[in-house]
Amino acid sequence: MTTTPQQAASARGLTKTYGQGDTQVHALRGIDLDLPRRGFTAIMGPSGSGKSTLMHCLAGLDQPSGGTVTVAGTDLGTLDGDALTIFRREHVGFVFQSFNLLPMLTAGENIVLPLELGGGRIDDAARERARMLADVLGVADRLGHRPAELSGGQQQRVAIARALITQPDLLFADEPTGNLDSTASAEVLDHLRRSAREFGQTVVMVTHERDAAAYADCVITMQDGRIV
Amino acid sequence: MRTVFLASLRTHIPRYASAAIAVAVAVAFVVVVGVLTSGAQSGLMDGLGAPYRNADHVVSAARWPSSELDPKAAIAFTERHGDGAAATGRASLPVRVNGRRLPEATVGPIATSEEWRWQKLSSGRFPAGTGEAVADVYVASAENIEVGDRVRIGEGAAARDVRVVGLVLSPSPPAQASMYVTWPQLLQWRDHLHLNAVAVRGEVGQLPGGAKAQPPEGFAAERLTYVQNRVDSLSVMLLLFAGIALFVSALVIANTFSILFAQRLRDFALLRCIGATRQQVVRSVRREAAVVGVLASLTGTLVGLGLGHGLIALINALAPTVPMGAAGLPVPWLLGGFGVGLVVTMVASWLPTRRVVRVSPLAALRPDTAVDAHTATGLVRLALAALLLVTGLVLLGTAMVQGSTALMVAGGGSVFAGVLLFGPVLVPRLVRITGALLGPAGRLATRNAVRNPRRTATTTASLLVGVTLTTAVLTGMATWRSSLNEQIGRDHPIDVALTSAEGPVATDLLDRVRRTPGVERAISVDGAVARVAGLGEPIPVVTAPAAEQVARDGGAFARVEPGKIRIDSEAFGKGLSLRPGDRVTVRVGDRWAQLRVAVGTGWGPAGVVAPETLATLTDTPEPHAIWIRASSGADPARLGGDLDELADPVGATVENGLRTWESLDQQLGIYTWSALGLLGIAVVIALIGIANTLGLSVLERAREHAMLRALGLTRRQLRRMLVTEAVLLSVAATLLGTVIGVGFAWVGYETIVKRALSDATMHVPWPSLGIVVLTTALAGLLAAVLPARRAAQVTPAAGLSLD
Repeated sequence: MTTTPQQAASARGLTKTYGQGDTQVHALRGIDLDLPRRGFTAIMGPSGSGKSTLMHCLAGLDQPSGGTVTVAGTDLGTLDGDALTIFRREHVGFVFQSFNLLPMLTAGENIVLPLELGGGRIDDAARERARMLADVLGVADRLGHRPAELSGGQQQRVAIARALITQPDLLFADEPTGNLDSTASAEVLDHLRRSAREFGQTVVMVTHERDAAAYADCVITMQDGRIV
Repeated sequence: MRTVFLASLRTHIPRYASAAIAVAVAVAFVVVVGVLTSGAQSGLMDGLGAPYRNADHVVSAARWPSSELDPKAAIAFTERHGDGAAATGRASLPVRVNGRRLPEATVGPIATSEEWRWQKLSSGRFPAGTGEAVADVYVASAENIEVGDRVRIGEGAAARDVRVVGLVLSPSPPAQASMYVTWPQLLQWRDHLHLNAVAVRGEVGQLPGGAKAQPPEGFAAERLTYVQNRVDSLSVMLLLFAGIALFVSALVIANTFSILFAQRLRDFALLRCIGATRQQVVRSVRREAAVVGVLASLTGTLVGLGLGHGLIALINALAPTVPMGAAGLPVPWLLGGFGVGLVVTMVASWLPTRRVVRVSPLAALRPDTAVDAHTATGLVRLALAALLLVTGLVLLGTAMVQGSTALMVAGGGSVFAGVLLFGPVLVPRLVRITGALLGPAGRLATRNAVRNPRRTATTTASLLVGVTLTTAVLTGMATWRSSLNEQIGRDHPIDVALTSAEGPVATDLLDRVRRTPGVERAISVDGAVARVAGLGEPIPVVTAPAAEQVARDGGAFARVEPGKIRIDSEAFGKGLSLRPGDRVTVRVGDRWAQLRVAVGTGWGPAGVVAPETLATLTDTPEPHAIWIRASSGADPARLGGDLDELADPVGATVENGLRTWESLDQQLGIYTWSALGLLGIAVVIALIGIANTLGLSVLERAREHAMLRALGLTRRQLRRMLVTEAVLLSVAATLLGTVIGVGFAWVGYETIVKRALSDATMHVPWPSLGIVVLTTALAGLLAAVLPARRAAQVTPAAGLSLD
């Protein structure tokens, strides 16, 4: 791979349009962006500014209408279907606004789920890593519980542990504090920042809260599909 | 509220589709039964009275159908009346056309006078006297009989050649035969003739013994009632299966309503929030259920009507001899089918709609969007289940001890209801055990399958019903059959026996027999022609140490102790005066022996003795019989006919035991396959139910699936996960159903079969049961294909943003 060491991901001339003719919506109007390694970047902007679309394109969840996205040295445009899924599995982690833990699995099982999906065996190293992550995120004593038995903050911290278990090149957090009170938000944001600093993780957070963005090393502001 | 009702109809009706299909299939089943029943009735009634239309009286057995007219007396009675009477009936006689023997041929009378003749000419002309015959047009087309063909009726000295001069339609089931000859000619076989009625004009006079005279209308009505009762009891049987199908579809529709209402709980709560009363909400959803019920039942009725008429047309085209008349519009059946479908839908939706009432308006305001569909299993339910199980088992035990079918049915129902109630505890465990062997997607599938135990249990319950009954039928039939096989093996040890009482059979005859298609093995049996005191004609006395090569009972009948002679008690008719234990003198030429009589059946007019006994009677035994084992699948009629051809010229007689096998085979085959086919409908409905549950769950879990896809589950893995879930459900239901079904069959065997056939043994048809498990697993897989495809189409980004 021809990885540029300083760039975890980059986008060139990225556009995304939805619909046709009169109803056409330009969600992204030509984005050029470099995300540095080991940094904590926040993408900010009001509703409808295109920040979620940008994240989806950077994460390979959505196909851009134009332009290129390179993650960990791989042009996502060259991947399709299963290849993209497997790439995502190996290189990208997610934290969602509504946590999205599987209700029928315990917290511990949710954390190692990405490893299971890859078909890999859950070896001692993986287990050790899961325990370490749970320790750091303060959910070690909740591993045997179902998501319904956890508080919102705990659920989100389990989700962060799940995202970090594969040591992804890029960790995306989409409004991670949108459903949390201020104390839980502060904890979650603190954990995201520590992931970047202590584990050397690249973290990209989409948010519209100025307070949340303040935790980031660098803030990108979007409006009407452009970076301003 | 009306706006809400209409809007939710528009939005949700498509989601009711599969549940509605389940109801429609069950309703269509009921309606098809109705159409076929009325078709069969009108077919049987057509022409019933035709032979008696010009009679003043019809003379028939006084206690019909439990007794019949005495043939000799009835013939004499008919003869006495001359032209003033005509008899209906038939004789079962061997009939050969161009040297080929017709299977199951019967010969009936045809009157020469217009007044008594009821057959309708199709081609040629009516017979004018002896030596002429007409054939039933359908028999003729099946057996390639044409006008002008020569036909030999009867055997040996009673054989007569007649010429076919016409083909007739003979649409009167009680009087129907394959060929018709004039009355004087038919009397040549008077010993074989059975009469069921005599039509008389004018005074009846002295009635034959055990007979009664009634007006033609009375006679027709009596026969009609009988036929109708038979058709009706068949309809009741069919309706039983339709009932099973309806029950299964009730389970499916109840499940559909609970899932849909669980998904819409927030909508209902929201309605409550903005001021709808409980009454209004409940009325709205009940009206929804009613619309589904009406649409489904209407569709089912129409489809059933079309299907029933199509089937009648098909039966008339494929099997014209089966009496199927025009069914018309059996209105009570149509209304009944429609009503039952509507009622089942409404009843099945009752419980789920009641749950809707309990929703509190606050539920709409809670932030969490996840549907917490987890349902607990109540203690009351478990206690009831335990009670039913224990009661049922006690009843089954009592049934086995007392041989009571009623107790058996009650106990079986009780046990099954108990199992259904235990479902939410039992089925998830089974699913977990089955799913423990699978990979990552499989483990997720297992978790998904058991996350809502009650839903899982209801979904599998519908399949459980079908599989349990199927397994019980298969096992019961296999047991019944293997017991009957043993019994018949003893009664008919030799498939076909060729016996020559005159000279020895030529050696090349054995070769020719062995070359006949359908013969698996044939042995020649040595003996000598002997005079046995008490038997009119000389018979061969034979010994057959090699009988086990061909006998169905392992040759047991042919192992006779020295000093005994074993006689086929059926080969000599009712006139046989010898009884077991009698001492008889058996002479061959000038040598003789005193032998004790033993009896058996199934090898024709020959006495079987020990080799030592034969040695005292003759020094030069010669082959006097050929015993044949038919290959499996041989056509008994054809084989019998072919062997007749060989036996006739050398004066040997043929004893065909294979026919009994064939009719048993056919009967059991018909029972088994019809039961399976009818249960198949219930199984299909159950599978629609599985597809339905899965499809609705997929909608419910769209967000989860999107998240899994974002985390790196490939489309293929997602599809596999859902398919695995369906297969797990169907396999769990099938395994449970197989165990219960075999258990029920065992109880049935202990209660019924063992009493009927004392030395019967339980026989479990493992290969068939294996096929049932495989088929349902495969069907479960098919049921999941569509929902799985739909689920896998959601892109992660779209799935995550959808609400």
